[in-house]
Amino acid sequence: MLDFFAQVALDSSLNQWIQAMYWLWPVLEITHFVGLSLLMGGLIVMDLRMAGHFRGFDPQASHKLLPLVFIGFGLNLVTGILFFYGDPMRYSINIGFQIKMILVVIAGLNALLYYWKVRPLMETWNAATAPPAIAKCVAYTSLTVWTGVLLCGRLIPYVGTG
Amino acid sequence: MFAWLESTPIAMWVGLSLWAYPLLLAVHIVGLAIVVGIFSMRDMRLLGLFPGLQPAAFLPLSRLAWVGFIINAISGILLFTSQAVTFVNNTPFLIKIAAILAGMALAGVIQSRLRGELAAVGNLSEISSSTRTIAMASLACWLTAIVAGRLIAYL
Repeated sequence: MLDFFAQVALDSSLNQWIQAMYWLWPVLEITHFVGLSLLMGGLIVMDLRMAGHFRGFDPQASHKLLPLVFIGFGLNLVTGILFFYGDPMRYSINIGFQIKMILVVIAGLNALLYYWKVRPLMETWNAATAPPAIAKCVAYTSLTVWTGVLLCGRLIPYVGTG
Repeated sequence: MFAWLESTPIAMWVGLSLWAYPLLLAVHIVGLAIVVGIFSMRDMRLLGLFPGLQPAAFLPLSRLAWVGFIINAISGILLFTSQAVTFVNNTPFLIKIAAILAGMALAGVIQSRLRGELAAVGNLSEISSSTRTIAMASLACWLTAIVAGRLIAYL
């Protein structure tokens, strides 16, 4: 599947456009780093509260960070697609990138579990509520998987083909 | 002195081992996410975003940001040793370090101001305009640290 996307990207004019703008790559990287900070910052607060830590945060109010998490994810989706278009053959065959993409999908499925199962439960939580096992499980899965995404992403330049 | 630092066994290990440098970089980005993530959420809250989210709850969370800072101080110093001479002569690197030190100093100031206001009033429903200004400066520091840090490889 990645081979197909890589071929599509390679044949596109976007690929040549990105490569022609020497200053674009560092700008995309900076944006990607800002995006990951917003994504992780929001999730650290939301997930740790969901797992029962930092109970000074109102459980319902912690969801207010979700738009910021989406902004961070959106920034990184756009910049990430541009990275891929700019150098498709580098990413498609890279084991670090491949594992990173699998982890992002797992994080997405885990987020659905949060949305359907955990969030409705949290409507009735107060500062004293002990989080049920599913809330802790979803919260720690989220933090672990996203940490894996960061680690794999940073290792892309240093690991080989998958 | 920096040339000597590069010749120490630990610097040689970071520079020559196949995995030390990439793994330290990977750890460094997790630390970055913790530090900048938590402090930027706090700053945006102090600037008036996410009403309903208690500003006082960021006080204990700041301890976690400090854990991230320590992770990055250690990984950062190790990364630094391997190319110390290059780094000390790199302007973006020096700007990054200055921005981080300023950001951590402002974190201390914000922390003590929030504690003070909390002790005086009992809650933090109103954030003073001076604290908001400091939060804005803090946000600028962390953005600068990211931008300068990324540019180390390019300038």
